[in-house]
Amino acid sequence: MQQGRRLLGVGALWLGAVGLLVARPGLAIDFSADIVGDHTAPTALHVADQAVRIDAPTGYFLTKDGAALFVRPGKQMFTDARKSTPLTQWFVPVDPDSPCAQWQAAAVNAGVAGSDGAWHCERIESAPRSRWRVTPPGQSSRECWIDPSLRFPVRIQMSDGTSLSLENIRPGAQSPELFTIPAGFRRLDPQSLIEHIKRSDVWVEPAASH
Amino acid sequence: MRKKLGLSAVACAVSLMAATAGMAKDEVKDPDVADAIKTESPIKHVIILIGENRGTDHTFGVYRAKGKHQTITNILSKGIVNADGTPGPNFKLAQQFSVKPQPLYYIGAPRNAKTAYGDRGQMPQPNTNGAPSAQSVSGAPFPPGFPEAANQVDPSPDFGPNTNTILTTGATNLPAKSLDTRVPDAGMLPNGPFVLQGLNISDDDYTGDMTHRFYQAWQQSDCSVANATKANPTGCLNDLFPFVMATFALNDSVTPAVQGNFSQGNEMGFYDAEQEQASTLKTLADRFALSDNFHQSFQGGTGANHFMLGTGDAGFWSDGKGNPVTPPANQIANPNPAKGSTNKYVADNNFSNCSDFSQPGVAAIVGYIESLPYRAEPNCAERHYYMLDNTNPGFFPNGFQAPNPATQSMLPASSVRTIGDALNDRKISWAYFGGGYNDAVALSDEAVAAGTAMTQNSSTAMGAAALADPSHELGVAYCQICNPFQYASSIMGDSAQRKAHMKDTVDLLADIKSNTLPAVSFGKPDGLLDGHPQSSKIDLFEAYVQQVLDTLEANPKLKAETAVFVTWDEAGGYWDSGFIQPIDFFGDGPRIPLLVLSAYTTGGKVSHDYADQVSILKFIERNWKLRPLTDRSRDNLPNPKMRDDQPYVPKNMPALSDLWDMFDFDHAVKQPYLE
Repeated sequence: MQQGRRLLGVGALWLGAVGLLVARPGLAIDFSADIVGDHTAPTALHVADQAVRIDAPTGYFLTKDGAALFVRPGKQMFTDARKSTPLTQWFVPVDPDSPCAQWQAAAVNAGVAGSDGAWHCERIESAPRSRWRVTPPGQSSRECWIDPSLRFPVRIQMSDGTSLSLENIRPGAQSPELFTIPAGFRRLDPQSLIEHIKRSDVWVEPAASH
Repeated sequence: MRKKLGLSAVACAVSLMAATAGMAKDEVKDPDVADAIKTESPIKHVIILIGENRGTDHTFGVYRAKGKHQTITNILSKGIVNADGTPGPNFKLAQQFSVKPQPLYYIGAPRNAKTAYGDRGQMPQPNTNGAPSAQSVSGAPFPPGFPEAANQVDPSPDFGPNTNTILTTGATNLPAKSLDTRVPDAGMLPNGPFVLQGLNISDDDYTGDMTHRFYQAWQQSDCSVANATKANPTGCLNDLFPFVMATFALNDSVTPAVQGNFSQGNEMGFYDAEQEQASTLKTLADRFALSDNFHQSFQGGTGANHFMLGTGDAGFWSDGKGNPVTPPANQIANPNPAKGSTNKYVADNNFSNCSDFSQPGVAAIVGYIESLPYRAEPNCAERHYYMLDNTNPGFFPNGFQAPNPATQSMLPASSVRTIGDALNDRKISWAYFGGGYNDAVALSDEAVAAGTAMTQNSSTAMGAAALADPSHELGVAYCQICNPFQYASSIMGDSAQRKAHMKDTVDLLADIKSNTLPAVSFGKPDGLLDGHPQSSKIDLFEAYVQQVLDTLEANPKLKAETAVFVTWDEAGGYWDSGFIQPIDFFGDGPRIPLLVLSAYTTGGKVSHDYADQVSILKFIERNWKLRPLTDRSRDNLPNPKMRDDQPYVPKNMPALSDLWDMFDFDHAVKQPYLE
């Protein structure tokens, strides 16, 4: 951990002791893997001290405790990830015996409508990986496989049959650099960009109702 | 979005493997398929780059033609201003008037009702309106260094190296909606045009916008055959520009500061090209060909002019299957003055049935069109309510069709034939390249998933999607109303058509590099770079143009057979001194610049042949041997026969050039664009 470097969350220091390979009680161990989907190119995932980094073509997502940011090095900025990708809602550290609360927290923080309602998580298989049927409020069910040693989802299958899996799982310490937001990066608020665009002809307000 | 890219990449690789499997080693196919299509001229590709809201006198008002024996008509040649931008000996030719209250909407104000503004500060003065006051991390102008590394990671070329610096400059440092004291003598400006140049203002500064809508623009032009002269047989005086801006939204009996429109006198601002303002455009004019008689096709704004560029016609409210129906009442315009006001429009809405003279505002324009000394027709079909002002297309950028266009304030799917349809019929390649399009598709997908696309206007729904998905926030800067094909059922309602022809700026540059440029390409920057006053700057559009030209410069073979048309959608409300040839109910409007860049248009020529945006359609149709789009589209008009004694007034009005006169196809000259 480099002192003074900004981590996920403005000004917050998230990773106090990144680099330990051992699994601490109640915590996911550190590892990296590839997220592989039926129709998507593989992308890298890193987990360290309950924080998650997911790489994307134009930057990377950082999540912890449900909150998620999207960092764009090319633009030297970061934003709240919100619903930019569902990956930040699904691939979060969980309690293998009671994962619903972590998924719900991620969905609520992403601003998914209705996600603060009642979630249903039903265990349908215990070993070697726990398998759950997860039903968020107002949404169709999906099945999730959790590796109890990683304390992390390793496969998500949607109701339409499409799936995402973690492959090439490599336990080990992760570089703290992966989880940082470099100094000088600025937070972007899309609302400000919208207000700017409203000054142009690009934005068309709907007709006022009379 | 990434999922689709991944799939298409795989599919592309598979199809490439299949395509090359049976090919002999020496059979390397030229990817430039447009090269093989027979054309009337040596031009095999056209690229039409469209900026936002700049007029001819506003941009080239102080410009001296560089070509041998070439002349240009502008406020400098007329003596309205001097080369340094100060008032010239004929400054009064540009004086502006106010008008006493009238009972109904008018476009030719009665002479006895008009009063010229006084000389010092009497004319409405320039106003910052909504121009950005300071730098912002979330919207242009950005703080220094903000986008400096953008090109390394971000695939969008819209934030390329040319734009990095100028996206950080130009804040007004003044309050919004205040007197623009950056303009020298602001507050005491005389009655006429003023130069946007001084210690605190240049072409690198954001300036206040002004309203640019249909009924306002006709009224500003002040057209009446009672004003006609030999040089100006249509009698458009262009002398009510600040007045209309200062009054159309102002109810005199209510608090003016709240009710008023803050455009004020911004219409009269211009740049001095002879003093290095808009210098990229000037360099291109010096080296290539410029038209000083090119016009916006439609009085008013962005959507209708782009629609005309794509169709040669106006859009109308329909049942989505081509049958005209009456739009909701809140869409129908009534520009008549409200009771107790000087000129405040009763209902400043977007649609009129101009075949019905009893509709508010219609009789004034149709009466004028029918009084012209040549055979001009309103061209208003019965029961058709035409789109006069900006209305989003009935399709989202991803092709989702708005299910409730009336309540979503979106034009129902259009059946008006486009140039894209005509090119498709002949299997000639084409594409529309819109800045931010890929992000806009992603936002649209999310609006559909969220259900907001079912009920909300596309701007609103995509804005909400951007808040939820900031990684695609640039999608809100993609201009939907600038894409005439986004209105069309034939394109947007067909996923194969959409995929083939609806593209992003990144694709334009890639196609130029890979020799896969379509025969016909339309290029539109996003809302940050389009040059629109207030939200963009003229030098940002210059940077966009330069990026395309630099890419083309690196491909000499492609450049040699490509004509680049650089133009604007409309003058944006900026005053212009040029002649206007009204053609029908919808326009023409004021002059806008047109630059034509090719090996056959070099030497600084200035064309005077009368033309408008439909002339670009006529060029395409002539070059690729296409027929006019429909029996009512403007591309049916003949080429103008120009007069020796009045070089800007066709003898055979109404007429539109096909721009062939700007080319010398017998002489190809290698001319660098900007190096």
